[in-house]
Amino acid sequence: MGKEKKNEPIAEVDYVDRNVVNIKSVPHVWDNQALTRLSLAHNKLTEIPPDIADLVNLEILSLWNNQITELPTSISTMSRLKILNIGMNRLSVLPRGFGSFPSLEILDLTYNNLSEKSLPGNFFFISTLRALYLGDNDFEMLPGDVRNLTNLQILVLRDNDLLMMPRELGDLQKLRELHLQGNRLTTLPPEFGALDLVSTKSVLRLQHNPWVPAIQEQLDARGCQGVWEYIRSENYKYFYGRQEVSNTPVPPKRNKDRKISRQTAKTTC
Amino acid sequence: MAPGALDSSAVNGNNGDIAQLAHGFENLFCNRCSEGFGVNDQVVNSSGQVWHSDCFVCAQCFQPFPDGIYFEFEGRKYCEHDFHVLYAPCCGKCNEFIVGRVIKAMNASWHPECFRCELCDKMLADIGFLRNAGRALCRECNEREKAAGAGRYVCHKCHAMIEDGQHIKFRGDTYHPYHFKCKRCNIELTTDSREVGGELYCLRCHDTMGIPICGACHRPVEERVVTALGKHWHVEHFVCSVCEKPFLGHRHYERRGLAFCEAHYHKQFGNICFKCGDPCGGEVFQALQKCWCIKCFGCSFCDKKMDQKTKFYEFDMKPACKRCYDRFPVELKKRISESLKDRDAEESRRRSMSPGTKNAV
Repeated sequence: MGKEKKNEPIAEVDYVDRNVVNIKSVPHVWDNQALTRLSLAHNKLTEIPPDIADLVNLEILSLWNNQITELPTSISTMSRLKILNIGMNRLSVLPRGFGSFPSLEILDLTYNNLSEKSLPGNFFFISTLRALYLGDNDFEMLPGDVRNLTNLQILVLRDNDLLMMPRELGDLQKLRELHLQGNRLTTLPPEFGALDLVSTKSVLRLQHNPWVPAIQEQLDARGCQGVWEYIRSENYKYFYGRQEVSNTPVPPKRNKDRKISRQTAKTTC
Repeated sequence: MAPGALDSSAVNGNNGDIAQLAHGFENLFCNRCSEGFGVNDQVVNSSGQVWHSDCFVCAQCFQPFPDGIYFEFEGRKYCEHDFHVLYAPCCGKCNEFIVGRVIKAMNASWHPECFRCELCDKMLADIGFLRNAGRALCRECNEREKAAGAGRYVCHKCHAMIEDGQHIKFRGDTYHPYHFKCKRCNIELTTDSREVGGELYCLRCHDTMGIPICGACHRPVEERVVTALGKHWHVEHFVCSVCEKPFLGHRHYERRGLAFCEAHYHKQFGNICFKCGDPCGGEVFQALQKCWCIKCFGCSFCDKKMDQKTKFYEFDMKPACKRCYDRFPVELKKRISESLKDRDAEESRRRSMSPGTKNAV
């Protein structure tokens, strides 16, 4: 960084793994209107000031592996931001209006403490979103509003506490990657059969769920391909309709006490 | 031009003259037969030379000169007719002999009054002329023709103008079609003729000779032919199946029996960069069921750039650099390795369960 000429505006800043506690101390960032890419991964940031929105040309922002507990409301006004990575932090809530990003395409919120209760009302209105990473969080259900993410190609919900999936997800025609492994799912809505998730270009992960025996058998014998053919069958539609009425016992949550996003939260409490 | 011809006077001797001449007769000899003259012989005298009147005849036809008019050339005398036949030029227009002023032009000779502008009939002898497509024209008519003839073809065989649309091209030059015959059936050609391999054929013969047919318009391809997708195409008919613009020799992509330009191929078939969201131009990095522009490939977590040789780890089907993977929490790495173990076990179990591969394993 130091070798760059002083007069030339710096468009990209990597300040990774430098024990940064105060984001204001990072050089070449503030009052640098030309900045398009900023990576502050592996630092010790706990908060992001509202001024972050002054970086009006920022397109890529990585805050992976910090200790951030809260985001400023202004962050969603960053009009050029395309990729936002706030995974591996301590977020248990997202600010009001978080869904108003005008250009956001990839949002990574992996490994936080988020649940459906953490999401602001407009969260699923980021219509430009191509990929949403929510693995290693605490979702028990996913709102049907997810159908508004019409450009969504990738949805990761790995290792949450999901009990059931919304049938509305079956409307997302562009979805090519769905990670549902490590949840508490017993069934899937038959509407998912409309999704193209078992072709060679697709990714579907269903393992480690307490599936009803009919699904588990298919998964064991023929993998995701078998499950998808099964949920597309008339048999399954009939079965699912009856399943919804009957009240099966709720599978237990996985113990997440060892997650680091929890541990530090505990000590600070 | 013709040697000067003057009347010779036949001299009729009268007595006095004869008497006067008589004393010199012994010294006079006929210019033709070199004999002397008898007393009663008629003597013809012309420019100091003398002939027997029977000897004073045309050197060609041996007849007396009609009306005494003769033409002399290299010391010999000819009657008018024979002189013309032997030596006088013929007019390119009226085919008559030219006596007096001869106009030499356009590789022929002309009476001054016969050499006229082919268009306006003006005499050209004194005002000069211009050659235009094998014709002699006056200055004005030439200008007019030049303006009217711009863009028209001149036949390379007969050098005449060719009516609009009535030319054929042969080895790069233009011709009237009727100068040629079909190489195969020998019929006189029309404007429908076609050149194949340096020979001309009538349309009928041409179409039976296995000419490629355009896959788009189903008509024969006679000029440049594009071969692609197992078919032949007119250059201008080989187009992107999405935007319908002709490739005109630019790179195209084939897929499922269709051709695409670069932009539409990538749009259609998903070589969209996972990071920048644009079609990957040129080289593409493919991994984890995704594509990246070479410049865009990097760690999805710290955003460090990576190349094809950089070792990376898969996490949620995203690439993680070694540093980011190493810094994952221990409990997460444990779960990842467990799920990888599970996936391997599952795969080998499924393989052993599938009946088709049982024997092979």
